[in-house]
Amino acid sequence: MTASTAAAAPIGRSNLQRFVGGYGQEIVVLLSIVALFVVVGAINPRFLSDTNINSIFAGNAYIAVAAIGMTMLIISGHIDVSVGSLIGVIATIAGTLAVSGYPIWVAWLVPILFGIAVNAGVGALVAYMRIPSIVVTLGMLSILKGGLISATGGEWITDMPPGFMIAQMRLFGIPSAVYFMVILTILAALFMRYTAFGRAIYAVGGNMEAARAAGLNPERTVVGVFALHGLFAGIAGILFATQLQVIQSTVPPNLELTVITASVIGGVSILGGTGTVIGSTLAAILFACIGSALIFLNVSAYWLRAVLGLMILATVLADMIRRRRVL
Amino acid sequence: MKKLTLGVLLSLGLMSGSALAASAWTGGDDLPTNPLACDATPGAAVAKPYDGGVPTNPPDRKGKKITVVDIPKLIGIGYFNATSKGISDAAAELGNVDAKTDGPTKANIDEQITFIDNYITSGVDGILFAANDPVAIAPVLKKALEKGINVVGYDANSTPDARQWFVNQAEFNGIAKSLVDNLAAEIGEEGAFAIVTSTFTTPNQARWIAEMAAYAAKCHPKMKWLETVEAQEDNNLSFNQATTLINKYGDELKGILGMTSVATPASAEAVTQLNKCGTIAVVGLATPNAMKPYVEKGCVKSVVLWNPVDLGYAAMQVLRSVADGTLQPGATTVKAGKLGDLQVINGSEILLGAPFVFNKDNIGQFDF
Repeated sequence: MTASTAAAAPIGRSNLQRFVGGYGQEIVVLLSIVALFVVVGAINPRFLSDTNINSIFAGNAYIAVAAIGMTMLIISGHIDVSVGSLIGVIATIAGTLAVSGYPIWVAWLVPILFGIAVNAGVGALVAYMRIPSIVVTLGMLSILKGGLISATGGEWITDMPPGFMIAQMRLFGIPSAVYFMVILTILAALFMRYTAFGRAIYAVGGNMEAARAAGLNPERTVVGVFALHGLFAGIAGILFATQLQVIQSTVPPNLELTVITASVIGGVSILGGTGTVIGSTLAAILFACIGSALIFLNVSAYWLRAVLGLMILATVLADMIRRRRVL
Repeated sequence: MKKLTLGVLLSLGLMSGSALAASAWTGGDDLPTNPLACDATPGAAVAKPYDGGVPTNPPDRKGKKITVVDIPKLIGIGYFNATSKGISDAAAELGNVDAKTDGPTKANIDEQITFIDNYITSGVDGILFAANDPVAIAPVLKKALEKGINVVGYDANSTPDARQWFVNQAEFNGIAKSLVDNLAAEIGEEGAFAIVTSTFTTPNQARWIAEMAAYAAKCHPKMKWLETVEAQEDNNLSFNQATTLINKYGDELKGILGMTSVATPASAEAVTQLNKCGTIAVVGLATPNAMKPYVEKGCVKSVVLWNPVDLGYAAMQVLRSVADGTLQPGATTVKAGKLGDLQVINGSEILLGAPFVFNKDNIGQFDF
């Protein structure tokens, strides 16, 4: 239920109805966040302290940024199951450049370019060789994960220069990672809604042949959206690398799943064609909220996975129900 | 759609009611505990018959010059460089040992077996090893025993009958005592603390937590355990969990115990980023390199582990005693040079002693 279907909604519905219809899932996620804040805050007011709110928003900012790219990719009808490994590799490249004495802007920029290049390559395989994206990215998952462990030998990167730690910088008391998340989400939302390329992503994901008939070049769009996804994965990797004083040589377990889950719970249809980047960012914030709430309520963090699983099922079910209503 | 929200909240509410009952502290297992005495008295060893292997017709090596090869899991990393240094220190001190370290450059059991096999063929008097796999290494070690070679393990054991003795770097109750004593020294006898662990079911961590709960009940009864949180072996998750603990408890929280080499530095990072250095203590298990920034800044005072140089030194001393015939099955202690008398435990293991505490004064000397 995106802007595209909302725009096509029958005339005669009120603006409010149209808004709710267009952003149904985003509203649900937002209300869940608000409800969590109210309930957990009532049980323990420290949940609403500045520092905790900062932790919640900053803690998953890199996941939100990666989920922006993932959302675009899923809207175009594809998926990337290797994004967690890519973020790990990007973080390691960035950290290695930073400790090897390269200028800090090089340590920030080169890994992002690497992310774009790798994913443009993946996109070319998907678009021109017609290999399903899940197959290509499963291959990438193994290549990146194995390559990372072989290259680092399990050693952690430490002693990075302070100027490199961009995610730890603060402006008006708010961690910079939060600004990245908010600004990139807004830019991406505007891009998806108002640019020809953004509209083409929806069109290709909705129906590739119809998009071709309408004069679009689906192959070029797919390569482009993969490259964009690489850009966001690159930025996420830099945020991830600079959050702590050490970069682990292993990729965070299930990071790709967390990113994909954020997109899905944020309202992207796994079938492609619909969804918004605002939804995925809200979902990433919701995950951080739940993770924090579990500790405040003395619940094992293991339940986070169970809760997320439950939410995926509920979201997909809701998507089905809403589709039937629209049809 | 409201149902989703309601469902999430409802399930959260339900889950908060469930409690795990096993150890006194969440995250511990329910196996029997064996807390050490509150002072430095070593634990009572449970009598257990010798279960190590016996070399077949070894030549009389008493007092004679012997050649020893040390084959660790891998070479070229800080940790095994340190054990290797301990081995050569002991060899130099003994004066009648020709010791060298050799082994694979990756922690690979197949390569390690090949190395051991080649040294058996080339003819050595003693083999020291840290096994990449306790079962897979057994046949080649048994082959060494059959050739009359003395075999002693350290750091990572094999099945007991494939070697003569194993130098055990730390027992669960010893680590538990060191962690709790150091924490009590930093936050006071009535301080409140929380634990960041990998998962509630990870065997080693669960054992340490159960032993800590038992030891604290015995020796520091007024310390207040708040809760245990899981962070797997994930850096960012550990950081987020530690941060949330600090946010949740505010001034009540005086200390964090890190149970893994990932959780401890991440907890120290959380304390640093929230400007709580000096008000919230972090004590935990970790390797010195990961903790150096926090220890050198004074944010963390004690990091508990063992000293790998001492571990290698003890292994070499034990091997010499076995070759000399002064360490026989059934012994209760063994002399280990400057480390003094070490205790025999579990039939055929030798306990290195109390864990080592890395602090501002000594952490710079270690590189692993």
